[in-house]
Amino acid sequence: MLSVQPDIRFIEELQQATGSQLTTCMQCGACTAACSLSEEQNVFPRKQMILSAWGMKERLMADPNVWTCHQCGDCTVSCPRGIRPGDILAALRQAQISHYSKPGFLSRWMQDIRFLPLVILFPSVIISTILILAGTFNFDNFALPEGPVNYGKFFPHGWLNGSFTLLFVLSAIAAVQGIRKYWQNMKRIQEDTSQIGRLTFAKFWQVIRKIMVHKDFNSCTQQKNRSLAHLFVFWGFILLLFVTFFAILSTIFFDYPLSFLNPVKIAGNTGALLLLTGASIMIMNRLIRPESLSSNYADWFFLISFWLLTVSGILVEAARFLEWSSAYHIYFGHLVMVWIIILYLPYTKFVHFLYRTTALIFLKLKA
Amino acid sequence: MAESKNIGIFICTGCQIGDAIDTAKLRSIAEQTSSVRHCTEHTFLCSAESRQQITEDIRKHQLDSLVIAACSPRHAVANFAFDKVLTERVNLREGVAWTMEHGNEDTQMAAEDYLRMGIARTETSGLPDPYLLENPVSDILVIGGGISGMQAAIEAASAGCQVLLVEKENDLGGWLNHWHDIIPVSGGKQTNLNFFLQEKMDEIKSLTGIKVLCNTTVSSISGEPGRFSIEVNQQGKITDHRAGSIILANGWKPYDVTRLKELKYSDRQNIITQAELETMAQSGSITRPSDGSPPKNILFIQCAGSRDKEHLPYCSNVCCLTSLKQAQYIRNQHPETNVFIVYKDIRTPGKNEHYYREVQADSRIFFTKGEVTEIADNVDDSMAITVSDNLLGEPIRITADLVVAATGMVPNQSDDLNLQYRKGTGLPEWKYGFPDSHFICFPYETQRTGIYAAGAVRTPQGIQACMEDAAGAVLKAIQCIESVKRGQAVHPRSGDESYPILSLQRCTDCKRCTEECPFGSYDETEKGTPLPNPARCRRCGICMGSCPERIINFEDYSIHAISSMIKSIPIPDEFEEKPRILAFICENDAYPAFDLAAQHRLKISPYVRIIPVRCIGSINTIWLSDALSQGYDGILQIGCKPGEDYQCHFITGSELMEIRSENIQETLQTMMLEPERIQTVFLEIDEYLRIPEIIDDYMETIEEIGPNPFKDM
Repeated sequence: MLSVQPDIRFIEELQQATGSQLTTCMQCGACTAACSLSEEQNVFPRKQMILSAWGMKERLMADPNVWTCHQCGDCTVSCPRGIRPGDILAALRQAQISHYSKPGFLSRWMQDIRFLPLVILFPSVIISTILILAGTFNFDNFALPEGPVNYGKFFPHGWLNGSFTLLFVLSAIAAVQGIRKYWQNMKRIQEDTSQIGRLTFAKFWQVIRKIMVHKDFNSCTQQKNRSLAHLFVFWGFILLLFVTFFAILSTIFFDYPLSFLNPVKIAGNTGALLLLTGASIMIMNRLIRPESLSSNYADWFFLISFWLLTVSGILVEAARFLEWSSAYHIYFGHLVMVWIIILYLPYTKFVHFLYRTTALIFLKLKA
Repeated sequence: MAESKNIGIFICTGCQIGDAIDTAKLRSIAEQTSSVRHCTEHTFLCSAESRQQITEDIRKHQLDSLVIAACSPRHAVANFAFDKVLTERVNLREGVAWTMEHGNEDTQMAAEDYLRMGIARTETSGLPDPYLLENPVSDILVIGGGISGMQAAIEAASAGCQVLLVEKENDLGGWLNHWHDIIPVSGGKQTNLNFFLQEKMDEIKSLTGIKVLCNTTVSSISGEPGRFSIEVNQQGKITDHRAGSIILANGWKPYDVTRLKELKYSDRQNIITQAELETMAQSGSITRPSDGSPPKNILFIQCAGSRDKEHLPYCSNVCCLTSLKQAQYIRNQHPETNVFIVYKDIRTPGKNEHYYREVQADSRIFFTKGEVTEIADNVDDSMAITVSDNLLGEPIRITADLVVAATGMVPNQSDDLNLQYRKGTGLPEWKYGFPDSHFICFPYETQRTGIYAAGAVRTPQGIQACMEDAAGAVLKAIQCIESVKRGQAVHPRSGDESYPILSLQRCTDCKRCTEECPFGSYDETEKGTPLPNPARCRRCGICMGSCPERIINFEDYSIHAISSMIKSIPIPDEFEEKPRILAFICENDAYPAFDLAAQHRLKISPYVRIIPVRCIGSINTIWLSDALSQGYDGILQIGCKPGEDYQCHFITGSELMEIRSENIQETLQTMMLEPERIQTVFLEIDEYLRIPEIIDDYMETIEEIGPNPFKDM
């Protein structure tokens, strides 16, 4: 039986994060009636709303259902008390990420604008240190390489790829640890764990296949273009991930940089274009500030960082071809953005892809 | 009654009456009647010119009675009211022209029959002579000094009445003396109850007409509206008073929480009621009764025994708001305490929804729909409360160290009135034990004329509503006094000057009238002879219907008059073509429904002859046997719905008719007649569309069983 022990601080945190008067929920269920995800035996999101208003943090931190929602905003629009259930669900997802991402101070950094300078300064210092160690960055006699732009001259590929890969492994360990804890908690609150089936490849593939075409996201009724924009970003990012991987290999085994007509290069540019389009639409969507979708700092931080990563990447390429004198500075900025997106992964909204996939797999096994 | 009449007959040919029938034939019927002195027709009888003409004709022909053969008696009432002249209305418009085929032989016969019936009734009726009291009093007695009683006294005194306000406790104020604050409180810290109460007290003091008697109970009430004799007992000191009407505002008590067995209230010190919490808050600190420590988790059980068939089936209207209010007391006093409110539905009517929202905004007040299914005692003196059937889809357990039961409101006994009536000391109770008559149609009216209920004794309600109630009841009480002074009936036959006249020399002391009067208007001698109190009477005629000796009659509504109507029309021999059905229609809902049907031009069989009655409870069986022996093939009695949600304007009339019908069926059997010859139908006013169907179905039934064997005997 569910024992009620309200966590007042959690209620207040949720209210602060969303600006919603959560406790005035009268539990009418208009949100559930509007929500296409609600099922007879799994009333959604009224149950989450009640649990939130009652400060049942432990229960909510182990709830996979919050990840089935793509924030279409149907509930928010129909709530008679105007408490924006969609925003509460977003805040719950955010809360889960912070809850499981260790060390905790890093996720606090990502959620508060006051830490922004620190968030940027930290990678800048580390990257500078790497360059100093590599010997290309000299305080006493600072000089950028002469002649045609060749990033490798100032940013030695070996040093950077090596150190970034190492740091990425650390970050990935942190992410996986969080996910592991999440999985355990989800299992722990089940009354009957025997009902959770074994993970098979077929089930895994069913979940992944759905994600690849954004099947659930597509069913969102408000703001159709959100799903398409996300699909662009999704595939753009995957393309670029492959290209980057190939590029790292190239620096070791082939010529680098690649020629403009190299299929890998074409793929990279296509990916960049997809990313730019998708991320720009997403920013626009949030700028219009529709009733059903509100944005907090964490949303903006991640989205703008992602957009800047894309733009800086494109500029890096342009600077090389056009021989801009600022090329190396741009590249430095790009590296900082790479850090923010890839190495801060467990602490920003970006990690949602792991949590969502995990939650959906869990629900698949439970079904 | 029986003296010869000078009757004037006025036939209107407007509103399609002239198209439907041949009024010349009607005139010739009138002219053949010896008591008719004058007969004329107009195309526009309700016009000012026609009224002028009628007035002249009354003077010229010395008419003492009029038969107005025009529209329904519900229309143009003032146009056809003449001082000291008896007026009978024959409904040719709604009753004939609008519901029957124009120019048809049967339509013509119906119109002629209705005229004959009207003349017959007029010949046998007299002009009522109102029952006037000697020295009626206009004072109002208010019983109960709670908010309803105080407000009633204020309202009545403001309207210029002398008021006697009787309170059994030491002080005025009732429950308010035990409350910490009133709903809604804002902020909660500063109480406004004392201010509110003081304001009421000051107002009572400042008004000259109010006499307050505290520590006083009513030991006896006798008499009738306009001259109630009241005896009060002030701590042994008996004084006599008089009043014109009475307001009962003796309030409520909380439902007995010990009857909620599963709470084990007697064994558990830390389960208290809302009333107890209120007193606790008033006296200072809210603590746990077991050890006086401040509670950390408080749980309110809403609807404790309310909306529950086993206990109180109704909603008491204020318990939800009270819990919201009390949750705020607790939160203001103990900032670290959690409050849980378990409800069936939160009911915060009207603007109180804003208050609900205000309380909800507190993040330490938790609401859940649910049923408390188990209370377990923990070792640390707290309780583990299981709440099932909630909205989470699984039972939850809440640990609380203080539980508050929100029990409902039970009306106080109306026996406090100590009525010296033959029918008992209190007021008859209806749904859920409340003493009202009909909560929608006749609020404040009780089943004892001149006694009006206000506040929580009438229906569960909060302070604001009680104050409105008080004003409403006072208006009724004043209206009653004024009507009685004029010798007129109160609602629903407002203005009626007739009243039952008993020929007691023929009375057999059977007590049927005293027993069956819904308003307890008859007292009795020791022998059992009825002692009428006409000012208590609502003129329904139920006593007239009940009397086997037929000694109870009204001047303008008598057994003889209706019998004459029944016998006044020729019954054709040929059943196949011209059956005859007599329909007694209740004037309150069924007759207006017939008018509505006519306004919608619904067709009604021309074989039916309608006689309006004050209540179907006033139908005397002699009329039925008269009709059957006269040769009518069937009798329909159409009245209002009886039962728990009754619509009978005289409360028990329809019910009595149902009981009497059983006896009538026996009579039919002894007459060797089919039970279907007499049928009772209950009709609501908005069911007028059903009327043609009801009539046609009955016609079919009669066709099946064949003609009345007494026809042409």
